[in-house]
Amino acid sequence: MKLITKNWHKIDPLNISTYIRTGGYEALRKAIREMSPEQVIGEVKLSGLQGRGGGGFPTGEKWELSAKTVADEKYFICNLDESEPGVYKDRLLAENNPHQIIEGLVIGATTVGAKKAFIYMNGHYDKQEEILKVALEQAEAMGFAGRGIIGSALDVEVKIFRGAGAYVCGEETALISTIEGKRGEPRLKPPYPPVSGLFGKPTVINNAETLANLPYIIRHGGGKYNQIGCSVSPGTKLFVLEGAVRNRGIHEAPLGITIYELVFNSLYGGGLRDGKEVKFVQVGGASGRLVPQAKLDHALAYGAGEYPLGCGSILVVDKSKDMKDFLFAWADFFHRESCGQCVPCREGTFRLWEIAKRMRGHGLRERDKENVEEILWTLKNTSFCPLGSFAATAWSDAIKMFGKEIFK
Amino acid sequence: MSVQKILLRHEPKPENLLSVLEAIQKENKNIGPEELKRVAKYFSLPPARIYGLASFFDETKTRKNGKRIIKICSGGPCLAEKSMELVRQVEMLLGVEVENDGHQKYKLEFMSCRGLCDRGPVMMIDKQVFEKVTPETVDDLILSYI
Repeated sequence: MKLITKNWHKIDPLNISTYIRTGGYEALRKAIREMSPEQVIGEVKLSGLQGRGGGGFPTGEKWELSAKTVADEKYFICNLDESEPGVYKDRLLAENNPHQIIEGLVIGATTVGAKKAFIYMNGHYDKQEEILKVALEQAEAMGFAGRGIIGSALDVEVKIFRGAGAYVCGEETALISTIEGKRGEPRLKPPYPPVSGLFGKPTVINNAETLANLPYIIRHGGGKYNQIGCSVSPGTKLFVLEGAVRNRGIHEAPLGITIYELVFNSLYGGGLRDGKEVKFVQVGGASGRLVPQAKLDHALAYGAGEYPLGCGSILVVDKSKDMKDFLFAWADFFHRESCGQCVPCREGTFRLWEIAKRMRGHGLRERDKENVEEILWTLKNTSFCPLGSFAATAWSDAIKMFGKEIFK
Repeated sequence: MSVQKILLRHEPKPENLLSVLEAIQKENKNIGPEELKRVAKYFSLPPARIYGLASFFDETKTRKNGKRIIKICSGGPCLAEKSMELVRQVEMLLGVEVENDGHQKYKLEFMSCRGLCDRGPVMMIDKQVFEKVTPETVDDLILSYI
């Protein structure tokens, strides 16, 4: 079942007419000409589309919240600041079919009544930014963005905003701070961005993949989209398979698929390379939980089960790999990317990193095991934004599963 | 392009602040005290806020850096493709220690994921990105680019 990647092979990202030939911008036309904003929100709510960035918040409800808020100005932001280690689905989306993102963005912006839209790009994605710029120019020339969209009185000015390489800016309030020209530090929620976001105005922030789903929903109706996938979270998802699997790369699959099927089915992962055995599978990038071999039949869906799906990366690690390297890499990543705003996260990630360094150098101290547990508890329960608890997730699982191997 | 020219190309709106800093970084290789003051004056903001922003991000530097920087990705997929072996080999080859600022000429660091996991392991020498680096090729790469 393919919705997003279906036409990728037919499309030249630098030529808008190849996208229009596959039915592109039909949904935008329909949303503006034939439907009222309430109807569009109704369809999106009916489809059950959830945010694909990792949170899994229902998109329709987010839009409704923003549409209901009265303000003289509203903003719409596409979150393309993908910096979770092991995830590159949005990069491929921008590379292969940038118009899909732009179409979804303009549909969203016109629906909630935003006149200004931003595409927040990861600072490392130079080539993708060029592609999006060209695509945006072409869309504006054809009247699909900018002033007077498809002959109507609606304006949506789309701007590309480049980040400068900070993981925490994928968090929506930190992203807003960056656009406002401040340090990318998360803010206290509530008020949530759909009520009070960028410059204090209602702001909807959607992941690029979420927006890429919209053209299908508007064209075929929310009811049809709702039939795909599983009942708790409908639709398809781009999964990134990495590590020891045979077919590494991006695979689109309906939500509700089990990890086992994704890794071993020849349609997707195709099993492990060179007859290796699974040590663990990490779901959702560096901030995801570790799944042991025995629990591979867990279904991947938003809001279901003990292993959250996150942004959809599946890292398969085989038995030949050293656990300490992974612990060090996670600690190093979160220590580097912690914004330093709150003490538990700034100090906790730093101390974890120190302990991980000692682990690699065989200089582990007596109290380290106790300390690790205390640090992990503090990170999980007291840090300000999700980054702190993310830093603890993989570590706690690793210590639970491979404690003997780590502290021998 | 001078700092003045970069400033004149952007309106003094807060959403343009980061792109101004990035443009200066690209031009000057760092954002020194002089540039900070001029940017602050143009945007009518305190210099401390500009400094706070410039020092927050990886891409913008507030100090000059004379060392050659080698970065190796420490993301899960690169790690599963033996990026730790690369680190050990570079450590041996250049006599540096990873994440240690002690060497006079070189600095070896881990870097965060750049989204190139399908072409990993990824290594960077200064601003140049190398993909699919293997333990066999890393020595040649280092010796020919450094």
